[in-house]
Amino acid sequence: MRPDEQHLKALMLKGMDGDGTAHAALLRALLPLLRGFFRRRLGGSNDDVEDLIQETLIAVHQRRATYDPQRPFGGWLFAIARYKMIDRYRRRGHAVSFDDIGDFADEFAFEEASDARADVNRLLEGIPAKQAAVLRATRIDGLSTAEAASRLGIGESDVKVSAHRGLKALAARVRDSLR
Amino acid sequence: MNEEDLIEALARDLRPVSRHTLGRRLVGGIVLGGVATALVVGGWLGFRPDLALAMHGPTFWMKWAYTISLAFCATAATARLARPDGGVGGWLWIMALPVLGLAAIGIHELMTTPRAGWLAMWLGASWQVCSRNVFMLSLPIFGGLLWSFRRLAPTRLGLAGATAGLSAGAWGATLYCLHCPESSALFVLTWYTLGMGLAAIVGALLGPRLLRW
Repeated sequence: MRPDEQHLKALMLKGMDGDGTAHAALLRALLPLLRGFFRRRLGGSNDDVEDLIQETLIAVHQRRATYDPQRPFGGWLFAIARYKMIDRYRRRGHAVSFDDIGDFADEFAFEEASDARADVNRLLEGIPAKQAAVLRATRIDGLSTAEAASRLGIGESDVKVSAHRGLKALAARVRDSLR
Repeated sequence: MNEEDLIEALARDLRPVSRHTLGRRLVGGIVLGGVATALVVGGWLGFRPDLALAMHGPTFWMKWAYTISLAFCATAATARLARPDGGVGGWLWIMALPVLGLAAIGIHELMTTPRAGWLAMWLGASWQVCSRNVFMLSLPIFGGLLWSFRRLAPTRLGLAGATAGLSAGAWGATLYCLHCPESSALFVLTWYTLGMGLAAIVGALLGPRLLRW
């Protein structure tokens, strides 16, 4: 099963409310993510990988109060992982700059996907609710026009018109944000 | 240590954390250091004798508006940098507003003061000690913020140190207003800002060493 942003975030929030089971489940779910993150950057057989995983888990636990529920969980998690990795190399006297790390930071699918999902959500919040719901149903969840119409309880022509208007509104918002 | 053991140890006796923990922690550090700074101002420098009278006039509030608005912006920026994924937002730019506002008042002062009086107005009676005092008074507050940061997670340590230093400098300057009788906007703009800037520079230099986690 592929861990996703919403699932991890839900576990994180429960853990912040004091739910130990959810907290343990979160830390367990982070293991493969962190292993992948560090291995990609340090090489598969590196001894540092296991140490860094443990250090990151401890930091996620001790500094969980710094997570802002308004923001993506993935961004918070990987900011900590990246910091722990840089700190480790700096301590040994290697010069690692944030820029060097940034150059190959774009390999990690979840990291990107969670950011992208946050972007999509932010854009969809800016258009009328019905258009956003139609776009979610047809373009993100992949429903057909008929399926979307029955899920949302509106007519098929309404779905088509809303999808068309929604895409136009989104395109306008993207253009504005690039300006 | 085995990972599963570690996870179970961490999740055992888990304490809930509030959404406001970070803010409370920062405010706690500032108040802690601020009490120490206030004691130094009251016990060593002494409150200005005409404090109650001055608080009824506009210049005291002009000075406070300047230092407190800078302190708020710097503290807000520090709060954002205390999160691993945080930037400074727009807070550093907003700080330009009080600076420009005070500069505008300073220009007005120059226009309404004869040229012969400019130097005396700018240097006041305490220009030689003002910046130093502001900087010294920032140190207890900076110490309080270092305590706050022990449970926080900055990743841009130099920048976080700089905003923490500026915040400490601006709160320190706010308390220094209780002692300092100077009343010119140009004086405050120069010597207060110099002291706060020094605190920010020292914070930026110390950040990478003291804020590591």
